[in-house]
Order: sequence, then C-alpha cells, then structure tokens
Amino acid sequence: MEKFLQFVFDGLSVGSVYSLLALGLVIIYRGTGHLNFAQGEMALFATYVVYQMGEWGLPIGLALVIGLAVGFAVGAVAEVTLIRPISKKSPFAVFIVTIGLFQLLNWMDGAIWGDQLLPNSGVGSNQKTFPTLFPSGNDDFISIFGAAWRLKYLGVLVLVLLITGALFLVFNKTRFGLAMRAVASNAESAKLVGIRTNTVLMVSWGLAASIGALGGVVFAGINGNVNLGLMFTVFIYGSAAATLGGFDSPGGAVIAGLAIGVIENLAAGYFQEWVGQELKLGVAFVVNLVVLMVKPSGLFGTAKVERV
Amino acid sequence: MRSLITIREGGPGHWALRVVATVVLAAVMLWIPTQGSNGMMTEATEALTLMSAAMALNLVLGYTGQISIGHSAFFGIGAYATGIGVSRWGWSPWLTLPLAFAVAFVVGVLVSFPASRIKGVYLALVTLALALVFPAFVTWRKLTWLTGGGPGLPNDDSVVNTTGFNIGRREGQMRRFEVFGWDPLGDLRSIDAKTPFYFWIAAGVAVIVYVVCRGIVKSRVGRSLVAIRDNETAAAVMGVNLVATKALIFGVSAGLCALPGSVTAIRIGSVSPGISSLTLIGAITFLIVMVIGGAGSLWGPVVGAVLYTFITARTGGWADDDSIPGVLRPLFSWAKTPPGTGIFAVALIVLMFVAPRGVVGVWRQQTPRIVRVVPRLVGVAAAAETAALAAVITTTEVDAEIADSAADSPDGRTDGEGGQIQPRENPLVIQPTSTESVGENQ
Repeated sequence: MEKFLQFVFDGLSVGSVYSLLALGLVIIYRGTGHLNFAQGEMALFATYVVYQMGEWGLPIGLALVIGLAVGFAVGAVAEVTLIRPISKKSPFAVFIVTIGLFQLLNWMDGAIWGDQLLPNSGVGSNQKTFPTLFPSGNDDFISIFGAAWRLKYLGVLVLVLLITGALFLVFNKTRFGLAMRAVASNAESAKLVGIRTNTVLMVSWGLAASIGALGGVVFAGINGNVNLGLMFTVFIYGSAAATLGGFDSPGGAVIAGLAIGVIENLAAGYFQEWVGQELKLGVAFVVNLVVLMVKPSGLFGTAKVERV
Repeated sequence: MRSLITIREGGPGHWALRVVATVVLAAVMLWIPTQGSNGMMTEATEALTLMSAAMALNLVLGYTGQISIGHSAFFGIGAYATGIGVSRWGWSPWLTLPLAFAVAFVVGVLVSFPASRIKGVYLALVTLALALVFPAFVTWRKLTWLTGGGPGLPNDDSVVNTTGFNIGRREGQMRRFEVFGWDPLGDLRSIDAKTPFYFWIAAGVAVIVYVVCRGIVKSRVGRSLVAIRDNETAAAVMGVNLVATKALIFGVSAGLCALPGSVTAIRIGSVSPGISSLTLIGAITFLIVMVIGGAGSLWGPVVGAVLYTFITARTGGWADDDSIPGVLRPLFSWAKTPPGTGIFAVALIVLMFVAPRGVVGVWRQQTPRIVRVVPRLVGVAAAAETAALAAVITTTEVDAEIADSAADSPDGRTDGEGGQIQPRENPLVIQPTSTESVGENQ
C-alpha cells in the first residue's frame, strides 16, 4: 500500500507536467487544427529565461511571471509571423515549419546558455539547483499512510488543477472563451459574425506556449536542472496525453496526462525487472500507437467524420 | 521563358550533357580519396552516409507522403546489427550489411501497419516516439547481454574488439590498386588506409541506395507511391493496394536506412546509444537534409547532404570566436555553440516559404533559362510527330512516306477509309514555340 501510494504520488506529479504540455497542444489544435511540434522547445526557451532571471537574483515568483510572458510572446510571434502565412500552403508545410522552429529554438538555447546542465554551480551559476515554486527542503512533505508526498510535488499537482479550473472558466464563462470556441468550431463563420479570428489565434498560441512554459519550469524544478534535451521526452508524454484524452478536449488532456504519469510509474515500479527506468518511454509510445489505431479521437475527444 | 539551348531528350546534346555530368561526378569521387586530405575524406564519408539515410527517408516522406521522424531508429538498427554481428559473433562486416537490411526491413514493415491507419502528423507523433524509444530500448537491461547497454559495443564480452574492419594497423595489409603507378582508389596501404577504405564503402552504399530508390521511383510502384501521396482515396480507387504498397515502401526505406547505419558502425568501430544519428537529433537531421535538398526528387537528398556536411563542418569550430571569419564575427560571436544547426533551421523555415521543393526545385526552375531538355515523345504523340516531320520533309510522295512511318509504329493513327492518313499537328511540339513567339510579340 505504502509503495503503491508512493508510485501514485510520484506519477501524479510528473503526470501534471505532461498535462500542462498536453493542454498547450490541445489549445492550439482546437484553434487551428495544427500539431505544434515546437511546443516543448518553446517551453524550454521560457524555462531557460526563468533560470536566467534566477541568476540575476530575481525571486522565483517574479521570474516565473517574466518566463510566462516570454513564453506567450514566443508563441504569439511564431503564430503571426510563421504559422499563419504558411498554413495557407499545406499541412505538410506547417509540420516542417514547426520542426524548423523546434530546431531553431533548441539551437538558440544552446547558443545562449551553452549545452551543459544548468545550474552548473561553481562553473558559471550562482544557483545550486533550479528554483522550485514550493518548499523543497528535506522535511517538507506530508505523509499519507506512510507514503511521503513532497510539498514541491504536491504543489505542482494543485497548481495544475487550479490552472485547468481557470482555463475551464475562461473557455466556458468569458466572451473570449466563447470566441475561441467559435473559431475552433468554424473559423469562417466566426469571422462572419465579427470575431477577430486572427487575435483569437494569436492569443491561443501565446496561451498554449505559456502554459507549456509553466510545465517546463515546474519540470526543471522537479529535475533540479535544465538542459537542452529536457523537453524531448516530456513532449512525447504530453503528446501521448493529448492523444489519449482526445486532441480537442482540454479536460481529457489533463486526466490523460495524470493517468499516463501514474501508469508509467506503476509499470516502472512494479515491473522493475522488465520495464525499469529505460522502458518508461515505451509506455508513451504504446499509448500513442494503440489509441491512434483503435480510437483515434481519444477517450474524451469528438470523433471526426471524414467526407470523401 | 527563353532558353539559350534547347536539346531533345535522348538526342546527342542530351547524351553529351549526361556524359559531362557523369565525368564531373566521377572526377570528384576520384579526386577526394586520391588528392584530398584525410579530413576531407572523412567529411565526404559523412556526407555519403547522411545522403543514403536521407534518400531512404525520401522514399517514405518525399514520394509517399508518410511523415516519419523515426528513421534514426532504422539507422540505429543497422548500426547495432553490424555492431552485434562483428563484435559478438565475429562475422565479417560485409555480412552484416544484408543482416542490417533484413532486420530493418522487418521492423519497417511492422511500422507500416499502424501507418496504414494513422495519417499525417499523427504518424509523425508515433514515429517521433519510435525515435525516442530506440536509444532507450538498446539500453534495456534485458538486452544488455546483446547490445552492451549504455556503453555500447564492443565491450569485455566481445569476441572482436571492434565493430568494423580490423585493418590499417600493419603496413601492406590491404591490397594496393594501381594503374600506371597511380592508385585510383587512394592510398590503401598506409597507416591511414582506413579513411579511403571507409570512403569507398560509404560511396558503395550510397550508390546502392540511389540505384534502388531510382529503380523504385521510376517503376509502377513509384507511380503508385506518388498517387498515394497526392490522394490516397483516389489511389485506392485506381487499384493501388494501399496496405501492401505502404508495407513494401516502409520496409525498403527502413532497410536502406539501416545500411548507412552499418557503415557508421564500421567506420567508427564502436556503437553506443550516444551516437547522435541514432537519436531524435539524427531523425530530424535526415528530415532537414531531405527537405532542404528537395523532397520527392532523387538528387534532393544528395545535394542536401553535401550542403549540410560542408556547412556544419566549416562552421564547426565557430563556438570559438576567433575562428569565425571577420565579416561574420559580429553575427555569430554571441553563440556558445556552433551555428550549423541554427543556420539550417532558419534555412528550412525560409525555404518552406519561398521554395518548398528545395534546392533541387529551384535548380529545376532556373536551369531551363540556359538549357532546356524537351522530353521524349511517347506513344501516339511520337507517331504523329514522325508523320508530321515526314509531311514537312517530303513534298512529293507524301502518302507513301506517311504510310511507311505509320506502319512502323503500332500507335500510328490511320483513318479508316482507303488507308489515308491525316498528319496532325502535335500539340506537344508546336505549343512551346507558339507561346514563345506570342511572348516575344508582346
């Protein structure tokens, strides 16, 4: 029981990071029907910015706000300058451009901050570990049935649930949310009734990128450092979560993200001999594959009917 | 568009062009190992490896339109097939090439089955996951006895302490190829014999991959691939067996992509999951090389790979500011890592806007200004053209001439009555000249 709970808690914590990435993917997909392969790298850039703010001595709260703003800017600028014009050409062109963005952002991170693990205390960083949003000392945990739930992990989960709740309110209770849903359902008609679709799309991308950025910061906090490959696997898990939850369902993305986090930790924990740490990623791969084969719309998504 | 020279496909001009191109290519290929430095040979070997992988990817992505960011896994299968075959089982490296092809072929066919249900960017997601899973998979503790885990091969249990050829250490071990006192294959006897030797292996593999790709693309299968890319439903309606064709092409593409993987393992002499071509980075590099060169063209990956290797090698030392040429220093001196990846990322994005068909696409668009090759006429058009020519040349005895030419070609059109033939103007021949003259008048 103790072991089981421990795996579940750990799973929920990393799962919440996957949820954030998946939320970003879903918001963009709902708005434009594109899959943003650069989602993880946009988040990574913002994470590096937060690290840099920490280097300059800013408290994590303020650094996070700046990081999210940078994330928003990166997403919005990418949509306006690249995605919008190229999406008139072909879906394949959009895919290639997002791959180009992926590569470009990853290269920029390396060019600005170098390719070693950061913070790299003693060599060039003032910080010992990547700043965490929540208390992260050795004693900061609550114990439930003997399993320890560290506050920094618990905090992440609470944060994700709060964000999801806030997004739910924005989507369903505000004028802007209504506009977003209108654009998602039919961009042409939305334009005809006077919705500024361009603004909506720009804000969607910005929002998605900054939610992803939050995921990046949180994950770097759990990890203790940031490096160029940080978001590769997280992106895969995030995409698996979005696939499982259904690409047009934000709630589904969050539930699926948490579920995948728990499943991979249980699998790696209970089948240590077989799965272990190496094959954890296999969970994401299998989920992606099976869901897309059996039920491409995911658990909570709307099935797409294709007219031939 | 006016062109300086207009030549006919299959005519003497076209053949001259082909011969010149072949001679230039052969001269370059001979110059590198005989005259070039070891560094240049290594670079060329890398370019040949990269172009083989990109050509293999091109079959699936460029021609069939199935997005794959997982080809690094197939590349890795090739590298590991060679690594295991040579260092664990003591095989000759030559024998591991067919093994690499076979194993990757099977895996490729397996991947194709989901691909017949999963479309577009979703397939990209699955293959992306494949690219990330592969390096993790070879470090799996249940496979360590075979793959050597994280450190890779060869390790202490290996029967041979390399994954490549055991050559180049002793003088005179390799045979010397000599023609009039000159070695056309480069110096294969010295301490550095490995470098030209691996260059030729990589070149051989690149030629094999090219020939197979060309064979497929120019065949019936190749046309069905393009049909699938352009409209899958229509292709199925026209009688293309989607599942079988995709299985075949994924298998062949994976198998071909494994060959440069083998070459890499042979060349480096060891394999480990740390080799960047085996990771997601590799898969994205193949993709970038292919798209920049020109997706869906045979020479695209070749051009892309040469450009990529050349530019990344030239800018490789640019992390050190002093090695950046003066003019470019302010542009790149801030960067802590070499700018190669960044340059190609920007080029990729820009190219998608201005020239989605890549460098080869631009070349195809621009060269007709200088040399235009008029395609050979086939079938009905060819017969009609012969007839038209005959009508122009002979003023007398027209009927007899035409009757002869029509009798020669089975497609010759004859009007039913009295065997009389109406020579028709061939739109294919007449049109370009007529539109051109209109253009000049304006």
